[in-house]
Amino acid sequence: MTEPLYLQRFTLRQRLEHVAVMTLFTLLCVTGLPQKFYDYQISQWLLDLMGGVDSARWLHRACGLTFAAFTAYHLGTLVWSVLNGTATFSIVPHRKDFSDAILQVRYYLGLTDRQPKFDRFDYRQKFEYWGLIFGALIVISTGLVLLWPVTVARFLPGEIIPASKVAHSYEGLMAFLVVIVWHIYNAHFNPDVFPFDKTIFTGKISMERMHHEHPLELERVVPHSTSAPGPSGHSA
Amino acid sequence: MTLLALLLAVATQSAAPPPSAAPTPTTDAARVEQNDTCLSCHGEAGLEKTLPSGEVQSLVVSHETFAKSVHGDKLACTDCHTDITEVPHEARPFRTKREFSVAYYEACKRCHFANYSQTLDSAHAAAVARGDKTAPLCVDCHGSHDISLPSEPRTKISQTCSRCHAGVSQTYTASVHGSGIAEGNPDVPTCTDCHRSHDVAGPHKAGWKNRTPELCASCHADEQLMQKYGLSANVMSTYVSDFHGVTASLRAGSDDRNAAVVARCTDCHGVHDIVRVDAPNSRVLKANLVKTCAQCHEDASENFPDAWLSHYEPSLQRTPLVYLVTLGYKFLIPFMIGGLLLQVMLHLWRVVVNR
Repeated sequence: MTEPLYLQRFTLRQRLEHVAVMTLFTLLCVTGLPQKFYDYQISQWLLDLMGGVDSARWLHRACGLTFAAFTAYHLGTLVWSVLNGTATFSIVPHRKDFSDAILQVRYYLGLTDRQPKFDRFDYRQKFEYWGLIFGALIVISTGLVLLWPVTVARFLPGEIIPASKVAHSYEGLMAFLVVIVWHIYNAHFNPDVFPFDKTIFTGKISMERMHHEHPLELERVVPHSTSAPGPSGHSA
Repeated sequence: MTLLALLLAVATQSAAPPPSAAPTPTTDAARVEQNDTCLSCHGEAGLEKTLPSGEVQSLVVSHETFAKSVHGDKLACTDCHTDITEVPHEARPFRTKREFSVAYYEACKRCHFANYSQTLDSAHAAAVARGDKTAPLCVDCHGSHDISLPSEPRTKISQTCSRCHAGVSQTYTASVHGSGIAEGNPDVPTCTDCHRSHDVAGPHKAGWKNRTPELCASCHADEQLMQKYGLSANVMSTYVSDFHGVTASLRAGSDDRNAAVVARCTDCHGVHDIVRVDAPNSRVLKANLVKTCAQCHEDASENFPDAWLSHYEPSLQRTPLVYLVTLGYKFLIPFMIGGLLLQVMLHLWRVVVNR
């Protein structure tokens, strides 16, 4: 039996960024959601565990500011790569992503036997990436308003502050639910990767998965390799 | 073992009330007769005693005053003055009038034990224990031979407290609550409604401050009561859903004085000086609000008070931005999560079908 072949999918920097976001996101949820759902028993328990609402808030703010710094760094390098011409644009949404999504749903419904072929990122991954970017911009900007309300009100109408509180807490809740429902499914419970898609941690993806999940990219990177289908088909 | 039994016997004996040589009269006739006997001396004007402090203690009890008091048809003199067993009375070692009052402090608890034990938890009892000679005893609020119902009329309560707390009382009288009392309004709170009576708490504890919203809400969240005055009963729910209110309710159980201050009802509305929210001197009137916010938020600007929704639910007319953001997320979240869940389920269904 031959060793399965692997391709390098993520750089070390990308993998470290994922670990950082994962850790900060978890901490922000644990310190933030009990403040939104403050009258639930479990929130009280969690807050007591963190030494009360005041220390939970300090932790939340520290994590929030760190998360803001990571986001700024990420977007900064993104802008830089565009400026110096090294950007690949593989994550940028394309008209094909919409037709892919429609085709995929038609396939799920049994209306067609044809499945979309994806390039480096499929429409789900692009959706999650841009969801994270726009979500981050919303929670960071509203979080800063809530951290310095007096300063903000010197330049902007006071109503920005309660509106930011609403947006911050709902956006945080939505991000939490998206991660619980969508990301945890795609990275863990999806039968194709169950129990654990390790690619974002190891940086490696098998040729077999490339065949099924990113055939267009594989064709670009290793021409003519897609003509031979993998030994075992994916479930869907 | 014998020693223990002996000790127990002694302890039981000493815990029993001191034997009274002048037995408490058991019939009405006997009580009247005994009281008449006492008053044959103590009803005489001019009976008094000069104490070592130089103070003159009057020993006169007016028959009429006592008869009109709540105890007039119930108690005999020796029910309270249990130490008086013979005539002439045994000499008592009182140096001051206050010592005389303190010595009789425990007389009331023979009948009013529940109220007495409540006073032990009070700020007043703590002051007595500190050795504060001015701290009130039962008789200082209730009187002695002239005791009448303490809350009839209701105005009497604040008058009683004002004997020591004159400044606060004056402020209260001018407040929306205090002026209501004077007009005979039965709904407005008097001193004891907030501070309680026998177990009056010290207001300088964090625990007391944490309970403030609850205290105000006991009337201001009462829909029926508030409707009578055209006031909103949502003031508590809107407060609790805001940043200040969340913080206050999360800290409600704690007594941590070091925690950062968070605004409670009285921090914006005032305490004894509460006025109508639309009164020209109201701290929460739009024109005065910046100053009120600046108590905590130094450098608060003209715009800053708009950050507070003034106890109103978000509405399109009043706070369109807050209303629309809320509405947007109420649609977006179910749409987003529902859509994703649907995709997950479709995927799983297809997996099962393909097998």
